[in-house]
Amino acid sequence: MNAIGFRTLFAKETRRFLRVPGQTLAQPIVTTALYFLVFGYALGGRVREVDGVSYIRFIVPGLMLLGLSQNAFLNTSSSMFIAKMQGTIVDLLVAPLGVVDLLLAFTLAAILRGMMVGGIVWVISALFTGFSVGHPLWVLVFGLLVGATFGLVGLAVAIWSDKFEQLNIVPTFIITPLTFLGGVFYSANMLPPPWSYVSRVNPVLYMVEGLRYGVVGTSSSSPWLGLAVTGGIGLLSLAIAAWMLATGYKLRS
Amino acid sequence: MNRDLAVETDGLKKRYGDLTALAGVSLSIDAGEIFALLGPNGAGKTTWISIVCGLVRATAGHARVLGHDVVRDPIAARKLVGLVPQEVNFDPFFTPREVLSFQMGYYGQRADPARIDEVLRALDLHGKADTNTRALSGGMKRRLLIGKALVHRPRVVFLDEPTAGVDVALRRDLWSYVRRLRQEGTTIVLTTHYLEEAEALADRVAVIDRGQLVGLDTTAALLARFGNKQIRVRLSAPVATASAPAAPPLPAWLQELGATVDPTGHVVTCPLGGMAPAALLARLGSLQPAVADIDTEQPSLEQVFLALTGGSEGSATKAPS
Repeated sequence: MNAIGFRTLFAKETRRFLRVPGQTLAQPIVTTALYFLVFGYALGGRVREVDGVSYIRFIVPGLMLLGLSQNAFLNTSSSMFIAKMQGTIVDLLVAPLGVVDLLLAFTLAAILRGMMVGGIVWVISALFTGFSVGHPLWVLVFGLLVGATFGLVGLAVAIWSDKFEQLNIVPTFIITPLTFLGGVFYSANMLPPPWSYVSRVNPVLYMVEGLRYGVVGTSSSSPWLGLAVTGGIGLLSLAIAAWMLATGYKLRS
Repeated sequence: MNRDLAVETDGLKKRYGDLTALAGVSLSIDAGEIFALLGPNGAGKTTWISIVCGLVRATAGHARVLGHDVVRDPIAARKLVGLVPQEVNFDPFFTPREVLSFQMGYYGQRADPARIDEVLRALDLHGKADTNTRALSGGMKRRLLIGKALVHRPRVVFLDEPTAGVDVALRRDLWSYVRRLRQEGTTIVLTTHYLEEAEALADRVAVIDRGQLVGLDTTAALLARFGNKQIRVRLSAPVATASAPAAPPLPAWLQELGATVDPTGHVVTCPLGGMAPAALLARLGSLQPAVADIDTEQPSLEQVFLALTGGSEGSATKAPS
């Protein structure tokens, strides 16, 4: 492993998003704060409690996951895609950086950005709902796993994409619908059959419920199931991204 | 395997579907030499460099950098090279100083501010070291590419059209920098459209055409073999031309030597061929009309290039001056 090379790339990927904080940190915070205010207060007046938790507190983990997943995805996807479009990908392909160096650097930077946004969303929400955390370790585990998974998915999608349009297909048509239908704003128990069953096929539901277990202390499904589902998808994403880098898929002709 | 070879390729082939970009190119480049790859557009020069640098995978054949196979031992091979790609690229988030610092890191070296300053100064980028790369001019961006390829002190540097679009003064500066690198023991492999550049810098030249190696020798030997030294004389009165046939004709012995007359009838250009210059000059002394002026024209790589590629001169250009 090229330890200095990995650390350099990680530092560069981190500095890249910190250099434009308005776009990478402030913008998602404003968006999530708006969700929090509109859904939390508007709907919270009608839906007072979900699974024994006040609605406004119930949606906090979902909003955290929304910020975490979107920003982890965006960090790797935009960096890799810009590098491909600008031609600076050559710097990484010619340098003595191995698959492990590249994967670790890109993924850790994505986790960092995702967890920073998720953490800030939690702090803003906690001002309204209180600062208590049900199971901090589970929050950390799901934060790391979800950040890594979406970071790896972002990397793979950017390597695959030849055009901006393709880059947007996956977040627009897959990630966002799955996230919104993944119990961010509702509990799967609130849906009538068969939708409650359909909802349970959505893997993002288990990520949201896992984070909810960590933040709120209760959830409609076991955090261990969430861990298994998130870990499984994370490993699949890791395998795909590693295969792409190792074979040079769409990178080395 | 020869440890004195900086780069070695055996039967390197690359096919993209039905298109053959490289048709089995074998080259050996000695450590410490400046080696130029010439060829028309699409000849396969960039494909060859890209395979050696690990950007393109060969369909067949092998490539080694200082003994390390670029496919079996890619990390060791890549540690030793620096590449200036043909297309200008820049990272819009960072400054030249940061970019060079990252580049050192990628190659497993701690960022060395003194080395980075040295490279920035050598490439006349010191004044823009802390400016975002977006604000650099085209020439500066190209210089930064060269800095990125050199900052980690690679033992083999590949320069793919390094001075395309660069002004004359900067080109001369870069040439002297390349010569300095060679003095320090760096092997330089360059592709160029400017034949003058290859002539000024290269110890050896390879000419590639349609994916095949069509010429390889020292620059001097290629010039001696293919480049014809010429004598050009200005006459005191015109000789006959197609548009002015009434004037006295060019003597038969000059026509036999392959001499040509310009449209004014005043300038006669004669290839030396195997003739001793003194013998030709003696015969010109008795020429009528009398010789008013005389000069010689050195052979150029352009002649070599045209001879070897059968006249595919689309990309063989004189450097703008």
